[in-house]
Amino acid sequence: MMLSVRDLRVSFRTHEGLVRAIDGVSFELEEGEILGVVGESGSGKTVSLLAVMGLITDPNAVIEGSIRYKGRELVGLPARELRRLRGNEIAMIFQDPMTALTPVYTIGWQISEQIRAHKRVSKSQALARVEELLAEVNFPNPREAMSRFPHQLSGGMRQRAVIAMALSCNPALLVADEPTTALDVTVQAGILDLVRKLRATHNSAVVFITHDMGVVSELADRVMVMYAGRVVERGSRAELFSAPQHPYTRALLGSIPPLTGEKPHRLPAIPGSPPSLLRLPEGCAFGPRCPVNYEPCRTGKPDLGHGTHAAACFRVQA
Amino acid sequence: MIDKDRPILETRELSKRFSIGTRFSSQGKRTVHAVDNVSLTVRRGETVGLVGESGCGKSTLARCLVRLYDITDGKLLFEGDDITGRSLAELRPFRRRLQMVFQDPSASLNPRRRVGDLVAEPLRIHTKLSSSEITRRVAELFDLVGLLPDHVMRYPHEFSGGQRQRVGIARAIALNPDLVVLDEPVSALDVSVQAQIVNLLADLQEKLKLTYIFIAHDLSVVRQVSTRIAVMYLGSIVEEGPAEEVFETPAHPYSQALISAVPVVETTANGVRKRIILTGDVPSPLKPPSGCRFHPRCPIAVDRCRVERPELTEHRPGRKVACHFPTLSSL
Repeated sequence: MMLSVRDLRVSFRTHEGLVRAIDGVSFELEEGEILGVVGESGSGKTVSLLAVMGLITDPNAVIEGSIRYKGRELVGLPARELRRLRGNEIAMIFQDPMTALTPVYTIGWQISEQIRAHKRVSKSQALARVEELLAEVNFPNPREAMSRFPHQLSGGMRQRAVIAMALSCNPALLVADEPTTALDVTVQAGILDLVRKLRATHNSAVVFITHDMGVVSELADRVMVMYAGRVVERGSRAELFSAPQHPYTRALLGSIPPLTGEKPHRLPAIPGSPPSLLRLPEGCAFGPRCPVNYEPCRTGKPDLGHGTHAAACFRVQA
Repeated sequence: MIDKDRPILETRELSKRFSIGTRFSSQGKRTVHAVDNVSLTVRRGETVGLVGESGCGKSTLARCLVRLYDITDGKLLFEGDDITGRSLAELRPFRRRLQMVFQDPSASLNPRRRVGDLVAEPLRIHTKLSSSEITRRVAELFDLVGLLPDHVMRYPHEFSGGQRQRVGIARAIALNPDLVVLDEPVSALDVSVQAQIVNLLADLQEKLKLTYIFIAHDLSVVRQVSTRIAVMYLGSIVEEGPAEEVFETPAHPYSQALISAVPVVETTANGVRKRIILTGDVPSPLKPPSGCRFHPRCPIAVDRCRVERPELTEHRPGRKVACHFPTLSSL
């Protein structure tokens, strides 16, 4: 087991009270596996992965539970130790490549800095590696691109530069947070290919966060659906997409307009909007929007239970 | 009586160019060809979807259509009236019939005013209704877009994204417009909320006999709402036709690549569709390529495409393609 997260809870103390952003999330990841994490804004998908990366530095954050990377507990690990892992063994790609890159240095400088922070190599060795990396992420002219500043590159190129940086130390685990959301579909297709290639060549494990069910269905081996800080369903890609169990997963899949075939007259929409974490409803958080009316959902919070394909729903478990 | 075939809006060889780098000297003055020679006809009651990658000029075109931008070249006709060069005062009677909904409802609503006020504003400017009539109309509009009557006293920040977009829509339809330009109206919303807004727009279109121009980068949403689709690349329309047809059998190599790139949920265990990956990026509209503007990325380009620019040609009624070698089986 490469990564094992057990009962992770992340809360933030705010003026309006304690906000529980993550409420008991558990998942595991094997080497070379791609895990897709789907959810809407506020579902906790980003926060849970920031916790894994040790990137929640807010003094008002309370992190509980266990995050084990290759058997080593990451919760409570000193910042220095974490820094040694981050960027080296565990790398992250963010949604907006423009803010992930510093505008005042060239692409080549930024990637080589990352290499030199983790590996004992000379400047020229590092730069040679940068050229290799940029070629690997399909820059047509890597040598020239190294001397470019972020603003001189297109969005797709920038994201590829960020990916090159993430790959620079051959990470065993790559966390990608909506890496294609800001990009056009044509560019997105190329980036998804790149992630697949990376898994094939480096056998890296990938956690891919997105709100796009289509992207997940094309990329992930296993999928985890999140809603209001909890995992509501998990399963293999085939299980989740051919036989979704949780009403939220089913409704979400149903509300996506089809790209081929008959157009529905009306889309089967989910009523309401995702709940505020400050005012979570009693019982199941999806309850007020759920088409299933079932008594136990009003008071108890359903757990995910065991098994590879599982849904946190009383109705399904009944 | 509504004449279905009478165009409500028409552009003739419309172009929009921006000059950049002119503030301090005329040296290095360059021109961005944001919209280039677009001729588009919009008929009453239909929804025309504009699709294309970012930077293809679809938003610029939308803003030209409601005259938020001045038009550099060509003509813009609203119900046959040329409104290309009209002054702001002359435009006013048209403005009430030609409205727009923007992408980000939190940026397009004034945070310091109550949403009831925001929706009432167009009524105050354009009509002679008394304040009690305005209040009644605002309540009616709130009901129409699915907001509660007591919501009028709230401020934009008190709403969720979906509700804010409902306010934006209420404001746009306040004056009973004929045509509404929707620029990415659902892109900023949560996935579970998008379908609600798509349905609301469809309901309003039916009830109020609206004509829509719908821009979105989510192609499946565009297909859902549109009767016709125009695919744009680097400021020009490269393909136009009935929505389902263009999606089913795109004829232009760019449309084919664009549509094949959309990730779709496959319920079968391992079914990654065959896709056309475009090499390179969208060229800069500062220096558009010679000939067909798509040729540097086109998988089937030949020498002719590098020199001669293909015209948008009608291959059969309602189906236009700008390509020397369109996929004929699609036409």
